[in-house]
Amino acid sequence: MRPRLSLWSVALWLLAALLVLFVAGPLVRLLLQATPASLGAALSDREVGAAIWLTVLTASGATLLGLGLGVPLAYLLARSRFPGRRIIAGIVELPVVVPHPVAGIALLLFLGRQSALGGGLARLGLEVVNHVPGIIAGMLFVSAPLVVSAAREAFRAIDPKLERVARTLGDSGWAAFRRVTLPLAGRGVLAGAVLGWARSVSEFGAIVILTYNPKVASVLIYDRFTLFGLPAAVPAAVLLLLLALVVFLVVQLLAPDPVRR
Amino acid sequence: MISLQGVGVRVGGFALTDISLDVPTGGYGLVIGPSGSGKTTLLEAIAGHTPLDAGRIVLRNRDVTHAPPERREVGIVYQQYHLFPHLSVAGNIGYGIREEAGGNRQERIHDLAQLLGLTQLLERNVSGLSGGEQQRVALARALAPRPGILLLDEPFAAVDPATRRELRKELRALHEREGITTLQVTHDFEDAMRLGDVVAVLADGRVAQAGSPEAVFRYPKTKFVAEFIGTGTILRGRVERTSPIDAATGRFAAVFHANGLSLEVVAEREGEAYAVLRPADLLLSRSEPEGPAPRNRLLATVTRIERESAVAHVYLSAGTTELLATVMSSTAEELGLRADLRVTVSIKATAVHLI
Repeated sequence: MRPRLSLWSVALWLLAALLVLFVAGPLVRLLLQATPASLGAALSDREVGAAIWLTVLTASGATLLGLGLGVPLAYLLARSRFPGRRIIAGIVELPVVVPHPVAGIALLLFLGRQSALGGGLARLGLEVVNHVPGIIAGMLFVSAPLVVSAAREAFRAIDPKLERVARTLGDSGWAAFRRVTLPLAGRGVLAGAVLGWARSVSEFGAIVILTYNPKVASVLIYDRFTLFGLPAAVPAAVLLLLLALVVFLVVQLLAPDPVRR
Repeated sequence: MISLQGVGVRVGGFALTDISLDVPTGGYGLVIGPSGSGKTTLLEAIAGHTPLDAGRIVLRNRDVTHAPPERREVGIVYQQYHLFPHLSVAGNIGYGIREEAGGNRQERIHDLAQLLGLTQLLERNVSGLSGGEQQRVALARALAPRPGILLLDEPFAAVDPATRRELRKELRALHEREGITTLQVTHDFEDAMRLGDVVAVLADGRVAQAGSPEAVFRYPKTKFVAEFIGTGTILRGRVERTSPIDAATGRFAAVFHANGLSLEVVAEREGEAYAVLRPADLLLSRSEPEGPAPRNRLLATVTRIERESAVAHVYLSAGTTELLATVMSSTAEELGLRADLRVTVSIKATAVHLI
């Protein structure tokens, strides 16, 4: 006997479907807007190509930096008990709630030439604001929380006794991490990295304040939209969406299904 | 050897205080205590995973109090085995074997696999193994680098009783073959009786009593120890079979001989054994008791009576054997129990616990 449809389950499905449509609709609409000709034109547009290439490179740089600095932090947060652990965990999560233009302003004050840090870096020949490092800084600020929390959860899921066994079998702390913890957490860390990378690619608010030029893809799309209108912005937007979809697929393949687990 | 000298450890709100214990080279030591008494913490302190608050740890005549785990040369087997899930059985066993140390890795893996009956499983993934198999892999992995000291955390807690008996036998054989100084923590006194040369009973983070298993069992120093291990009479002797082995149960009727005393028992194996007589299983009477159950009857003399509110502990002497019985206070009254009284002690054959 089939269960009778209750008003509750009908409402449940209806509301859920509305949101799915609301999310998928615009994206599908955008994909339909692009014609092979306009995509080809966008691809051969040297400015678009350069912006996408710059986006990929800076996002990769920000992700590598995020991994290099975030994995040790994630490991400490997952394994060590130290005073202020919760505060530090909170600080790392903070960028999630900071509006991105606000993050851009904060980074500008922190890393601008007028600031102690930015001035010092400039004297060492590293210009941040209005240069590529500014893009990476903006991306790192917004993507690091994703990398850290994914890695922290991946480490937390691994019983610390596995490392202890490895230590008694002759491994140093680093060797046990490299031979046991990292291979087991690798998938989760990688999924976090891909997510952070995608977050970096999609960043606009912080970057547009820190480094308008050279333009990353999101800034270029905004630039074209405000200067030349919608048709000029669509092909680049479609390209960026396709790039995001590919990354999204990779994340889906990497991350275990949270429901089935 | 393993020598703990006044060891103190503090983990969270939990503390081990003034733990001292010596296990001689090649010896088998046991730390017993109820769950939550800090047994695993103690092993982790010995392995170097938990820093000491006080005291010293000496392994093989070397003070390792401040040495990191990888410099202590101990093998550890956790209760839940903690095999590396990303490695095969062979990968797990070979994990700690260093090629540069001149050892032949493959040879050692195969030797241990053969010893522990794992040869067929070497290429398998560890996730599909049974509890007993995982236990053996964990043991082989710990032994592979020839650590000299083996730490076992409740090794039999997660397996069924049949596997436990088998593993216990294997472990004893392995211990003798490899001559490895072993320290095991357990909540099971039977492990201590069967395996241990030295026993320490842990309570509230302290050693409540330490010594040979027999001594601890026979003369518990504190009420906690007595209650935890269940005091009573323990006899060392020989089992001699008197009937054919029951095919279904593998058990048989036998006679247990000890100190000129003979008890009818139901046994699983012949030869050297301990018989444990729980005080509540000893029935006292002033005349020959009647009853259909096969009973052992001994004549004994009451030497001392300790009365509590509901029960009385009656110390008896049967020839050269000291016995302890616990009876209800009302029974003690009815029987008119007093020192020097001659009584008959009855024990069912099935109540004699052979270990």
